[in-house]
Formats: sequence, structure tokens, C-alpha cells
Amino acid sequence: MIYHASTLSIAVFAAFVASVLVLSFWLASRAKSASGYFAAHGHVGWFVNGIAFAGDYLSAASFLGICGMIAFYGYDGFLYSIGYLSGWIVALFVIAEPVKKLGKFTLADALNAKFDSRAIKLVAAISTLVISLFYLVPQMVGAGALVKPLLGLPHWAGVVMVGATVTVIVATGGMVSTTWVQFIKGTLLVIICAFVVGLILQRGFSVPQVAIESSEVQTIMKGTTGTIVNGEILSPENQLDSKLRWKHGVGFGSVAVLPGGAISTGPLGPLAYIKTFSESTITTWRKGSDASGATTFTPVQRTGKDLLLPGSSPTFKGVRSDSLFAKLDFLSLMLALFLGTASLPHILIRYYTVKDAAAARKSTVVGIGAIGIFYMLTLYLGIGAMTSGALDPTDSNMSAPLLAQTFGQGIFAVISAVAFTTVLGTVSGLIMAGAGAVAHDLIKDYFAIKLTDLQQVRAGKLAAIGLGAAAIVLGIFFEKMNVTFLVGWAFNVAASANLPALVMLLFWKRTTKAGVISAMSVGLLASLAWILASADTLEKVFGYSAIDATASALVPFSQPAIVTVPLGFVVLITVSLLGKRPQVVHGDRGG
Amino acid sequence: MPTSHRPGRRRWLATTLFWIYSAAYAAFVLAAAFWTFHGGEPVGGLALPAFAGLSVAVVAGFGLIAGAFVLAMLYAVCGSHDEAETPGAHR
Repeated sequence: MIYHASTLSIAVFAAFVASVLVLSFWLASRAKSASGYFAAHGHVGWFVNGIAFAGDYLSAASFLGICGMIAFYGYDGFLYSIGYLSGWIVALFVIAEPVKKLGKFTLADALNAKFDSRAIKLVAAISTLVISLFYLVPQMVGAGALVKPLLGLPHWAGVVMVGATVTVIVATGGMVSTTWVQFIKGTLLVIICAFVVGLILQRGFSVPQVAIESSEVQTIMKGTTGTIVNGEILSPENQLDSKLRWKHGVGFGSVAVLPGGAISTGPLGPLAYIKTFSESTITTWRKGSDASGATTFTPVQRTGKDLLLPGSSPTFKGVRSDSLFAKLDFLSLMLALFLGTASLPHILIRYYTVKDAAAARKSTVVGIGAIGIFYMLTLYLGIGAMTSGALDPTDSNMSAPLLAQTFGQGIFAVISAVAFTTVLGTVSGLIMAGAGAVAHDLIKDYFAIKLTDLQQVRAGKLAAIGLGAAAIVLGIFFEKMNVTFLVGWAFNVAASANLPALVMLLFWKRTTKAGVISAMSVGLLASLAWILASADTLEKVFGYSAIDATASALVPFSQPAIVTVPLGFVVLITVSLLGKRPQVVHGDRGG
Repeated sequence: MPTSHRPGRRRWLATTLFWIYSAAYAAFVLAAAFWTFHGGEPVGGLALPAFAGLSVAVVAGFGLIAGAFVLAMLYAVCGSHDEAETPGAHR
């Protein structure tokens, strides 16, 4: 059995949720005006905002998804760490200060600062909602995955709990409570993960005394009689236990051979840990199927050196391929990660919570520091999980919590609670961005419905409740999907729809209203259409086999950014040059 | 990339640092895609040894993460001398 629900886990979890809710109700009084609700009055200090950036950005995809991907495939998960962090360079050097000066509450404010156009508001609001929904799904799926081992509850219960808690946070204290939840989450996540990495280094590596797993193929069958694990029918009564009751009743992931034939290394330093792993042989598990259609997990021994190179996972396999399209797929995803960060609406709105451009710049630097430390830790967390003997080969997202469980129930309880806060912090930011788009951009500006300050806040709260409900439904519907993959989509769409318009608006005086609208619309629709027509979507969403998906795909590779981002720039420049020179209506542009 | 709303020295610094980092990131990604594997086997690029028994892949990965923070700090420290700009001023 791998999963244990413990009283301690439940207590830590309940204490955290209770404290977050109390905090939200306490801060609600500071969010009664539109400025307070949507932007925390612009009074958040730069250091708090910087850590809140980390709390906002380090999502379930970062914590659960990346650790799981490294635990299953090695370096490929670390590629996400590198790409996600690198995107902050674009945010700091290109976007942060101008956006702070141009905007008020939302992404649309910045894009529309020069033109006062309802159409820009509409397109920007739609873009914000689409990107936020793409980002929301993996967070909610991660929440469902967490409560299973933590509380022994089914997936849907976790999704509902997160959705309800976040809705209360956003609907009470708006950006004020969201900021503090993200600050607490960012702080806890970095500190606790650093602590766990300390434990990993202290433990070092060891070869299991009884390497019973190395030659056993494990099978899972799903038929008319239900799920059968290793020939044993899964019954409702013993589902949580027997699903993972593998032959010999052990978890997976271990060192097969250490350098020099050693049994154990003892404590290792950070560099020695990576070096030792690189020189070891690791037992990993490859998913497949047998002739009857049953899912199988087959042990495969690989060198650590090979696992520390890219290209082991389905997402990044193109790196090792000689196919140009496969390589373009990889380049496109890395481009999306680099350009997408600075275009994410829930990140951009954090720039409105500080008082000026200098604070925006300083908070970005703090955010890069905190986020960078965390991403460095992910390699150790992933390798630790890969060699912990505690992996669940059916669910990569559980790798980090299961790793923590090997250090005791106390650490497991804390890590699970922190992982839960990870979801809360990011989902609050996403719902906040969506609520702003609906209440401020659509209702007030696009539909031109006159709202008092109080009514605008009320509209934002109602939008938050609606978005929370949508997040719950989507989190249940997409239960089986890998969280990191979905976040990759969000980055592609954000980079394609928002970045060309943002950059050209800031740095090209000839940019016109029609150019911005066209670029955003084309970038949004082209990236969505590309994703929908891709082999990845056919396989992972519509259930095609890998061969059928490749044959049926309408586009040669799955990640659109390398095509759709340049397309956005070309469309904006062309449309702007064909139109009249822009007339500045208002706003502080300076480009 | 020139940035508006900033005094000249900081604008120059932001532009320079942005392109330095972008070049490093591009080199890393291109090395992974085109210079590390041939026929599915590691032949060079990120697979090469760097130092202390670590490969270029590991060193470059940590380097890009740490490098982002170093450049950000450099920008924050050097740019702080221009902080006396008038709030809301443009070029």
C-alpha cells in the first residue's frame, strides 16, 4: 500500500484551510472599493509582492507536475523549470515597468491605455478568460490528486474543496486576501522544499537490499468486471489499497547499481549528489500494454547519465529524434515558456498591486530569486522521488508527496498541506484575473453598464463565484490529464495572443487599434486551432492511439508558439501599416 | 529591445541584459535540439562533460536559473541610481 490517510495530515490540512479562510474574512474590509478589490489599493510592499509572485506562479504544474516528470523521466522535467524561470527575464526587462505605468486593474487596461477601444477590451477579456481556464484545469486536477492520499477522499472531493475554498478567498478579500495567501504559500513552498532537499542529501543513495521489483511486470486491466490489478479484481471496499497493491506490496523507483558497487553513499553534498546519480544505474518504469489491452509497467534499467539528458519523456522525445518537425515541436514549447510568462494575465495583474514602476521592478527581482531557488530544488526533489522506492507508476503527480512520506508522516502531512496551498494560491490568482476581466473589462467597459464602485466589486465577486464553479466542473472532467502538459498550452496561447500586442504597443509608435485587435484575435484563434488540430490533443484529450493521432493531426507538430507568435507580430505590423496613423486618445504611453 | 518609460541608462542596461540572457537561452535550446543527439545517441552538446563530473546539461540548466537572478540583481542595483526619475515620466 502506498497511500495512507493520517490524523496528522488531516490536522495540518484543516489548520491551514481554516487559517486561510479566517485571514480572508479579516482582510475583506480592505477590499470594499474597486481599487481595493482588484488591486489591493496598490499598497502591497515590493517584497511581499515579489514573494506573492512566487506564490502565484509556482503552481501545481511546477510543484507536482515538474517533480513528477523528473521522477519519471529525469532531465525533461527540469527543462520546464528552466523555461518557466527564464520567462521572468522578459517580464523584468521588457514588460514590468511599462505595464505598471499603463494599467489599472487588468491586462486589458494596459493594452487599451492608448486607444480607449471597447473591441480591445473584449478581445483582451476573452484572451484572459481562455488562458486562465487552460491554467485552471491542471491546478484543479492537482487538487483532486492531493486529497486522495491526504484524506482518503475521491478526486472530485478534492476539486470541490479547493474550488469552494478559493471562491471564498476571492469573493471575500479580493486581491488583498489573494496576495497574502500567495505570500504565505510562496514562503512555505520554498522553505519546506529546501528542508526536504536537505533530508534527501542527508539520506544520499542506497541500493534496496531486496531488489524484488526489478524483474516484475505489473499489469492493470480495465474490463467489464472492473479494474484488475495483477490478476486481482479491484473492489470498491479496498480500492485505495488494492489499486496500488503491486506484487510484493512495495512502491517503485530505486537505484539498481551505485558507483563502485557500493550499497549506500551516506550523506552527499549538492554537487556530489548529482554526480553520484549520474554514475549510477536506476530502475525506471515504462508504461505499455500487452496483447489483451491491459496496461503494463515494465522495469527498465537506465544510466543516471542518460536520465540527466533531455528527450526521455513523450513531451520532449523530439530532442532525440532526427525529425525536423519533432525538433520544432521542442523549440516551440521552449519559446512558449520563455515568452508566455510575461503574457499571463494573472501574473500581469500583480504589477497593479504595488505603488510604482520601481516597486514593480524590485518585486520582480525578489520573485525571480524565490522562484529560481525553488526551480533549482526541483531537480533534487525529482531525483529523490525517482530513487525513493515510493513512486506510484500510475500517477506522476503524486511523486513529491510520496517522496515526503518516506521521511515520515509529519513531513508528508506538511508537504501535502503545502501542495494544497500551492493550488490555492495559484487558483486564487487565476480566478482574480478572470473576475477582473468579467466585471471590469466586459460588464463595465465593453457592455458599458454603469456601475458604482460598490456594484463593480459585487460584480467581481459574482464572477469569482461563477469561475470557481466552472473550475470545479473542469477539474473533475479532466481528472486523467497530466498537469504540466496543460500548462504548456496556457503558455502557448498567452505568448501568441498577448505578447505581440503588448510588445508592439510599448515599443512601436505606429501600432494602431486595429493592429492590436487583429494580432490578439489571430494569435488567440490560431494557437487554439493549432492545439485542437494537433496530435497531442487527439491522443491526450480525444483518446486516439499515438499512431492514429499522428496520422490524423492537421498540423505537423503540437506546440504552436513558434508559428503563432511571429504570426501575431506580422499581423499587427501589416494591419497597422495599412491603417491610419494612430490617434492618441489618452494614456501614458511613451513608446 | 528598447524599453519605454525609463531613463536612458537603465533602458540601455535592460536592453543589453535582455539580449545577453536571450542569447544564452537560445544557445541552450538549440544545443539540446540540434547538437546533443544524432540517431538517438548522445554525441555532444549538452551531453559533454563540463566540470566536477557534471554534464553541460546540468551546469547549463543551473546556470540559466542562477544567471537570471544575477542579471536581475545587476539591473536592480545599477538601475537604482536612476530612481530619481519623475514618476510617470516618459522618454
